[in-house]
Amino acid sequence: MLETSELRRTFTSDAVDYEVLKGIDLRIERGESVAIVGKSGSGKSTLMHLLACLDRPTSGRISFEGRDYLSLSEKERDRLRNEKFGFVFQQFFLNGRDTVYENVVLPMRIRGAADKDLRPKAMSALESVGLGDKHAKRAKDLSGGEKQRVCIARALVGGPDVIFADEPTGNLDSKTSRTIEDLMLTLNRDKGITVVIVTHDEDLAAKCGRTINLKDGMVVDELGEDDEAGEAGEQI
Amino acid sequence: MKLWDLARTANRNLFRAKLRTFLTVMAIFVGAFTLVMTNGVGDGLRDYVEMQVKTFEGERILFVRKKLPAELEEQANSSGPVEYKEATEDGEGNLIDPNSVVVSLEQIEGLKDKRPDVRSITPACRVNPEYISVQGGKKYQVGIGMLSEGVEQKLEAGKMFDGSDQIILPIHLARAYDENVGNLVGKTATLAYRVGNDRELRSRDLTIAGVATRGMISNLNAFVDTETAKAIYTEQNGDTPNFNYFNNFTIQLERADSELLESTKERLDKLGFVGLGIADIEKRTYDAIGILQVGLNVFALVALLAASFGIINTLVIAVMERTKEIGLQKALGMGRFKVFLLFSIESVLIGFWGAMLGIVSAIGIGSAANAFLSATYLESFEGFSLFAFRPLALGAVLLLVCAIAFVAGVMPAIRASRLDPIEALRYE
Ligand SMILES: Nc1ncnc2c1ncn2[C@@H]1O[C@H](COP(=O)(O)OP(=O)(O)OP(=O)(O)O)[C@@H](O)[C@H]1O
Ligand SMILES: [Mg+2]
Repeated sequence: MLETSELRRTFTSDAVDYEVLKGIDLRIERGESVAIVGKSGSGKSTLMHLLACLDRPTSGRISFEGRDYLSLSEKERDRLRNEKFGFVFQQFFLNGRDTVYENVVLPMRIRGAADKDLRPKAMSALESVGLGDKHAKRAKDLSGGEKQRVCIARALVGGPDVIFADEPTGNLDSKTSRTIEDLMLTLNRDKGITVVIVTHDEDLAAKCGRTINLKDGMVVDELGEDDEAGEAGEQI
Repeated sequence: MKLWDLARTANRNLFRAKLRTFLTVMAIFVGAFTLVMTNGVGDGLRDYVEMQVKTFEGERILFVRKKLPAELEEQANSSGPVEYKEATEDGEGNLIDPNSVVVSLEQIEGLKDKRPDVRSITPACRVNPEYISVQGGKKYQVGIGMLSEGVEQKLEAGKMFDGSDQIILPIHLARAYDENVGNLVGKTATLAYRVGNDRELRSRDLTIAGVATRGMISNLNAFVDTETAKAIYTEQNGDTPNFNYFNNFTIQLERADSELLESTKERLDKLGFVGLGIADIEKRTYDAIGILQVGLNVFALVALLAASFGIINTLVIAVMERTKEIGLQKALGMGRFKVFLLFSIESVLIGFWGAMLGIVSAIGIGSAANAFLSATYLESFEGFSLFAFRPLALGAVLLLVCAIAFVAGVMPAIRASRLDPIEALRYE
């Protein structure tokens, strides 16, 4: 479903080029759960941004369901992210003064959905993360773990094919982290949503169907946890 | 995002920064308030003048004078001495004398003979009265005007002339004789005037046809019919060399028809005359007020211009403050244009609320001022409101302020729309 070939990304700062990704070839199939791991600065976030159509590669190709990102207009890229992808970040990026509900429906509002269609979607997303009863609370009054669950609900509300998460547990204690990890993987298992998680957390990586290990801008080894032989991506 | 959602979000964003929004709105408010007030003064003046000028009516009337020598010159603005030129004939037997602004009676009457659509031409006979007295009462100074046939004066009581030896009194004068001016209609007024080198005092009894409504031009003048004016004029000037030479005359057309009015004006122009309809005279006054109004409004616009920098400042800060939020919205698929719109709407809303506040307070304060002034300083200007607020003008101010606010918001809105979501989300 997500495919890259010869993906390169170079950043230029102060007239010096840093080649962060040096030719990445990847395939992520529908329904997979993939962890992207690697040292800090190895280019994990950069790769995720490229996969999620937030950034443009210096060279190489990425496609989603056979559609090459290069062929998409600005508008189509916006629509792709809005309709097919969900996002969870390390920072929550919630609007503290707004209600949980308002935060969750943001992607739907951006999509231009009618008010009456928002409620059932938002409520079911909040149920999925176990926050159905907190919808009227101000986002700033929630605990860290609850906030991240709101973010997951927000990523979920538009019915995405893929959820991209950049260190979703990076700001949470280990117990709360486990809840978030389980939640993401439950979504993957029960709803068939593909999840791509950037993480430092080995526990989390271990729970994912596959781990992509980045080092110096290259994929060093790719392991399917359930299948050490590397028949990655076949299990759902 | 739907437009409605954008507007709601924009409004919420403004409320999130209450103090800042409030201060910016206040700056706009001051500008809008000033603009409504300055414009209101102009309109108040215009209303008043309209009330005054409109005391005359006559759609078939042209007031005519000869062109000034300077207007006949090719280089009309030459400031040197004007050369004397021999009079010439215009081919129709009329003598054209470029040296003088007076017209002979023959020439005036000659104009009529050739025009089937001219009903009458009346030279403006000047009368120099000595005093007036009603029913043998107290004597007063007075000015005398002549109302040509076809010119209607608005009346407080009575009616226009229906014969000769009649007079219309100005309201002040009429009130001096009787508070209830209607009582004077039909009574006799004696008009005294001096004649000849020995200044012999003569007088004439005139029937009071009516009492004129208060007006700017006619406040002090009494009016007599053309016959009476002509008779007194002849008595006073019959033996002077200037007799039957006139500065002005009026032309009454057969029909009240703007095309006929225009074509007559053009013909007069070719013959060396300037003809003005009542509408033209009114327009001149309005133009003068219009210029005054523009001058005043410029001050208010300067205030608005200053306030628009406040909007720019507010929005630039808002964009910086909300970098992450914008980044998130863009990451979640909000297009550039929608982000631009979001900030533009915020900007226009600031303008809108500032303008609304300005308009409402201007109406409130203006009305209070009107009430106060008309009871005190402006008491003698009956019917004059210093500030007049017209819905159309208020709507225009609202639109203008919103437009200015929109323009002020363009730069910050473009900044917001160009934010790179990745950068914005990383931004610490
Ligand atoms: N916009 C940019 N301009 C310049 N350099 C950049 C930019 N974005 C990323 N980089 C550099 O690219 C490298 C990879 O960054 P990236 O954020 O992908 O790392 P990461 O693997 O996600 O690290 P971490 O685990 O700390 O989040 C880093 O060295 C970073 O400094
Ligand atoms: Mg990172």
